[in-house]
Amino acid sequence: MEVTYKVHRKDPENGGESSYSTYQVELPEDATVLDGLQKIRDEQDDTLAFRASCCQGSCGECAVRINYKAQFTCTTRIGDVTKKAPEILLDPVRNIPVIKDLVFDMDRFTWNKMAAMKPWMEPDDEFAPTENLVPESEMADVRKTMSCHACSLCDEGCAVLPVNFDFLGPAAMVKGYRFVMDPRETGAKMEARMKVVEQPQGLWDCVHCYEADGKCPRGLTPSSKIMEIRDVAFKEGIKHEKVGRHHASFINSVKQTGWLDERKLVMETEGMTNVTGLMKLLPTAVRALRRGKMPGRHEKRPGADQIKRILEKAEDSK
Amino acid sequence: MKYAFYPGCVAKGGCPELYSAACKVAEKLDIELEEMSDVACTGAGCMPTQLSDPINARTFAKAEQMGLPIMTICSTCQGVFSQANHRLQDAEYREEINREYLAEEGLSYQGTTEVKHMLWVLFEDYGIEKLKALIERPLNGLRVSPFYGCFLRRPGNIMVPTKDVGARRGYLEDLTQILGAENVDISGKTKCCGFPILTANEEASLGMVAKHAGESSQKGADCMVTPCPLCHLNLDGNQPRAEGQTGEKIDLPIIHLPQLVGLALGFNTDEMQLGRHIVSTKAVNDKVDMLT
Repeated sequence: MEVTYKVHRKDPENGGESSYSTYQVELPEDATVLDGLQKIRDEQDDTLAFRASCCQGSCGECAVRINYKAQFTCTTRIGDVTKKAPEILLDPVRNIPVIKDLVFDMDRFTWNKMAAMKPWMEPDDEFAPTENLVPESEMADVRKTMSCHACSLCDEGCAVLPVNFDFLGPAAMVKGYRFVMDPRETGAKMEARMKVVEQPQGLWDCVHCYEADGKCPRGLTPSSKIMEIRDVAFKEGIKHEKVGRHHASFINSVKQTGWLDERKLVMETEGMTNVTGLMKLLPTAVRALRRGKMPGRHEKRPGADQIKRILEKAEDSK
Repeated sequence: MKYAFYPGCVAKGGCPELYSAACKVAEKLDIELEEMSDVACTGAGCMPTQLSDPINARTFAKAEQMGLPIMTICSTCQGVFSQANHRLQDAEYREEINREYLAEEGLSYQGTTEVKHMLWVLFEDYGIEKLKALIERPLNGLRVSPFYGCFLRRPGNIMVPTKDVGARRGYLEDLTQILGAENVDISGKTKCCGFPILTANEEASLGMVAKHAGESSQKGADCMVTPCPLCHLNLDGNQPRAEGQTGEKIDLPIIHLPQLVGLALGFNTDEMQLGRHIVSTKAVNDKVDMLT
């Protein structure tokens, strides 16, 4: 069958402007999108840049957007794409700087961010005389996340990265999860691990929008994993000072009155002795006051005592 | 039609105009609301599930006692509730919560409470044809950007669980058009507004406000409509700060879902309390007044 490829082009040696090249390629229906790209480079245009390595969906090198959906070229069949659209539109994955055509900067993006997670284990006793055995039940979920091949497709749909490129992103957080949940790091090692995942641009910079779930070709759920790390952070004690104050104020408010005291939350998050921080809130507070949006007196709700009892018991069961 | 009404903390705090608009619209539609006044905040994602699941189970158990489904007007409340209710469908987990936390108060959650955002209620329970028949002022000429935010859409397996409710993905656009307004589509309509990271990274949070509201404004929208008061708080309340950060004027009113419905049902802009917004709604007011 004859297939039309429309491929994103960008050449930094030639101005670096984005454009598209169109190619007609003869391919069998069960060929992969990657087969077509290789044929184009072999027979029509040897300047076309794309990545591929394992050709079996294991390495993640060939991630691109195929008709707006982030996928691997090596495991996507031509017939499956052309069933839904007349042409094959190929763009680089979003949120990552493009080096050339479909090739993105994996150093600046994936590998540097993975490295920030200190992706090696530091067991409590590094020089233990015996093997460090752990039960299968505690490792099953951890092992699943080890199948992440760092393709960055979960970062591709991230809502934060377009406005904050320095955010470590869901892929790096999944790497963090793998070590947070490993039972061989405890005590001081666990404390240090949580500081790593809670570093600036880490755990607390995620908006937990669940955009990354459903993007993983391995079936991992990065957003849900981030939420699980958050639950661990609550148990271990939040290391990020301002976020810690925010959550403590939130929970205290619900414990005391049954619901959220927004005014108190905003001030306690800044820190009641942080005069500069509190002064920064003033213009917003004045605007809210003028418009009648400043919350009124915060009354204790009926049922608040039961709510407090439940929350205190749940905290004790940590 | 009757619901156990769960307005959420923000509608009773920083966005009183949302509470008032929702109540007025419900009354006009003859939807009876019995407010749940003795239940807790959902936790809004600021509590670990270990704390929030027991207090949310208590809320569901109370609704079960009332024999009513819950209606929310906040996507964040809805998202946290839906996820908690999903976990509480596991009988063993539910029984543990009942035994450890609810039994002392004589409560027990059986897992039957349905929780629905007002947007879903209008489409799935009330009926769009019935709503159409009550429109007194089609919002012709009003250009509106629908903005879902995150929690009414994801996680997909919980928020849009079956093919039957697959249309949930387009409710906001459909409603805007049904009310007579024109959709101004923006690329980030299902993305986060930035509110959840206001504490950890204010610059990125305000960057998200500028991105979404800025795109809508550039495309010529008169306003944005959102089913989430937290999106409203960030996109409206922090819009002046986002403008300060980028140096670019946005000036886009952010309307709550019930306010937009209310305007089409014939309420005036004062009755919908548009004057309580931080970003002036004058452009919306002027257009709506011309339709009167």
